[in-house]
Amino acid sequence: MLRPVKMSRVVVAGSKDVISPVIEKLHELRLLHIVNYNGSQPEFGLGKPIGKAKEYSEDLIKLRSFARYLDIKSKAPEKTYPEAQVLSEKDNLLNNVGADVSSTYERITAIEAEVKSKQDQITTLRPLAVLPLPLESYYGYDSLAVFVGRVATPVDADVARVSPANDVYSGSTKNATIVAVFVPIEKAGEVSSVLSEHGFAEMSVPRLEGNVDSAIATLEGGIKSLEGEKLPLQKKLAETKKQYEDLILATDEYLSMQTQKTEAPLRFAETANAFVIDGWAPSDQVSRLKSELESAAGGKIDVQVLDDKEADDLVERGEDVPTKIENPSLVRPYELITRLFAVPEYKEFDPSLLIFVFFPIMFGMILGDVGYGIMIMLAVLLLKKKFRTPGWQQLVNIVLIASVWAIIFGFFFGEIFGPLGLWTKVMGGLPEAQIELLKEHGLYFGEGVYGALGRLGPLGIFPMDRLATNAVLLLIGTSIYIGVIHCSVGSILGIKTELNYGEKKHAYFERLPVMLFQIFFALFLLGLVMGQSALVIAGGIVIVVSVVMMVMGPEGPMGLAHVPFYVSNLISYLRLLAIGLASVGLAFAANQLAFYVIMPMLSGGAESPTIIAAIVGIVILTVVHFINMLLGILSPFMHPLRLHYVEMFTKFYSAHGGGVEYSPFGHVRRFLKA
Amino acid sequence: MAIADAGVLYGLLAVGAGLATGLAGIGAGVGEQGIGAAVVGVVAEEPGFLGKGLFLMLLPETLIIFGLAVSLILMFAWTPFASLVAAP
Repeated sequence: MLRPVKMSRVVVAGSKDVISPVIEKLHELRLLHIVNYNGSQPEFGLGKPIGKAKEYSEDLIKLRSFARYLDIKSKAPEKTYPEAQVLSEKDNLLNNVGADVSSTYERITAIEAEVKSKQDQITTLRPLAVLPLPLESYYGYDSLAVFVGRVATPVDADVARVSPANDVYSGSTKNATIVAVFVPIEKAGEVSSVLSEHGFAEMSVPRLEGNVDSAIATLEGGIKSLEGEKLPLQKKLAETKKQYEDLILATDEYLSMQTQKTEAPLRFAETANAFVIDGWAPSDQVSRLKSELESAAGGKIDVQVLDDKEADDLVERGEDVPTKIENPSLVRPYELITRLFAVPEYKEFDPSLLIFVFFPIMFGMILGDVGYGIMIMLAVLLLKKKFRTPGWQQLVNIVLIASVWAIIFGFFFGEIFGPLGLWTKVMGGLPEAQIELLKEHGLYFGEGVYGALGRLGPLGIFPMDRLATNAVLLLIGTSIYIGVIHCSVGSILGIKTELNYGEKKHAYFERLPVMLFQIFFALFLLGLVMGQSALVIAGGIVIVVSVVMMVMGPEGPMGLAHVPFYVSNLISYLRLLAIGLASVGLAFAANQLAFYVIMPMLSGGAESPTIIAAIVGIVILTVVHFINMLLGILSPFMHPLRLHYVEMFTKFYSAHGGGVEYSPFGHVRRFLKA
Repeated sequence: MAIADAGVLYGLLAVGAGLATGLAGIGAGVGEQGIGAAVVGVVAEEPGFLGKGLFLMLLPETLIIFGLAVSLILMFAWTPFASLVAAP
């Protein structure tokens, strides 16, 4: 769980006669993480694809090109197909359906282009309606030059100046003046420069006939009929998609699998008559791999497992051992958070289990509200039904578990949609006099009670109103101590990781002092606050010892430069309190505004609110709590994430660079029946 | 000893606490601005960087927490003053 699965280095060598059944078996088993042969040894060449590799990849390209026209994307399977059915329908799908889809799609594209060009023509024609000329009079002259366009100022006089023989028509639209200037062709150059002085912008007149309005009407009619043709075509594509979507995805899967198999020898080493496959497999699966392969190849194969020393030598020479993360199903969603950071190296720890332990608690401690927790849980359950891809499911499960903790902490904090609100109405509160008494003695932790049980915990601290001074102080301490535990777990893993790599000095003089420093710094602070001089002295001594150890460590006196970082690590955990306070503050403000300001004001000070007051109050409550809840999902998610990435992971993780994820040769069948 | 105008003192404490968190927030914001822009740029080219980018992006956030810690100490735990000033 906490460690990646133990791997063994496996070498499979066999006669080329049996290469197909061996590949088939490997593909089916999904156990061997193949190490690509790099061609470094002269005795062995790179393998060549077997069978119909070319054909399969061509089919795949064909399939994907028209799948794109249908806008088919990977999705959760609705039904699965046996391979035989895919095989029998493949040709029909690729040739007939594919050709049909392509031609339909091309026709749609052509229609769209034509519509676009007609629309462009309409846009140019529209301003011409202000001129009294029919469209055929704008073109087809040998001895005349025609200028049609927009101008900023009147041009008649200037045109007449350079070309006495002229014909100028002008008219104005809402925001421009349109002119059509006809001059003898030999004057074209001069007129053109004169026109440009008037801010002339030429328009290209479409070669159409008749008057402008009827031309526009014709074009619009054309667009309409084109759109009319497009609609059934689009419908047809949609129907084809509906009918073939799963089959297309199944065929894609089948062809991908076949390509993968036929091209697999490219990763092998080969001689004229034999092949060699290098790879890694989980140690507990090696014997199964061996027996399955031997029976598939009928004995014409040799499967060797290298002993650990030999494997270590290979690793020393730069081969990566693939990391296979394996966790119980409850923890598995948290692998998402691990992967987002980096895949651990083979010798490092897989922190998913720790994230599973700490992350939801931190989320819960920050959000801590029964109402918000339940709302988030319901929202997430809805999303769980809607988004079925594995990535979303993981994310949804993370938030789901976290929302359970938010509800649990909501009971600790006595919050249902914030303090001042529903809790005291549902579960009851302390009488006024007792609250005063508690405040007088400095023992006030909140006014809610657990129904008939009253207040619970030592000194009756639960349910704890997070905005009360005492509660803030208590939570500051709690946050820092959660930090100490969190960081210490990280440091312990760091020490063990360094030992795994055989770096004793780094383990004992770099990782260990950090842990000692942080633990005893926290105890030192506790001693100061409680006034326990024994704790202060003990803490002080160990802090000095740990600092000395750091100086003796691999970094020498430079190690001291990290000390402020270790202190800030711990202070950073105050965000567990701080983010929570911010959201409590907003919820408090909403409740205060609605219950104690708006509602009494609109009810004219009456005891029970009027209907209008109640409605306005509810609207305000809904809006503010909704906003608060959106923030309430985001920050309690991001900040614990940061506490893991920055404060905890840096203690043990990826000091040696990211790992290579175990990806065994094979394919997970989704649309194909096994 | 009690200070005559406790309200003023308490008000000044509150202003100080507000400044501590507020200015720290501005500082963190300035820091994150550059990192955020760079991270968005990198993630556009290489989506796999998102995790590390997020990590870098959140680094300056600690500054606000420092400011907040100072505020909390001022408001709740500054014993020399807390004993002088009763919260109104």
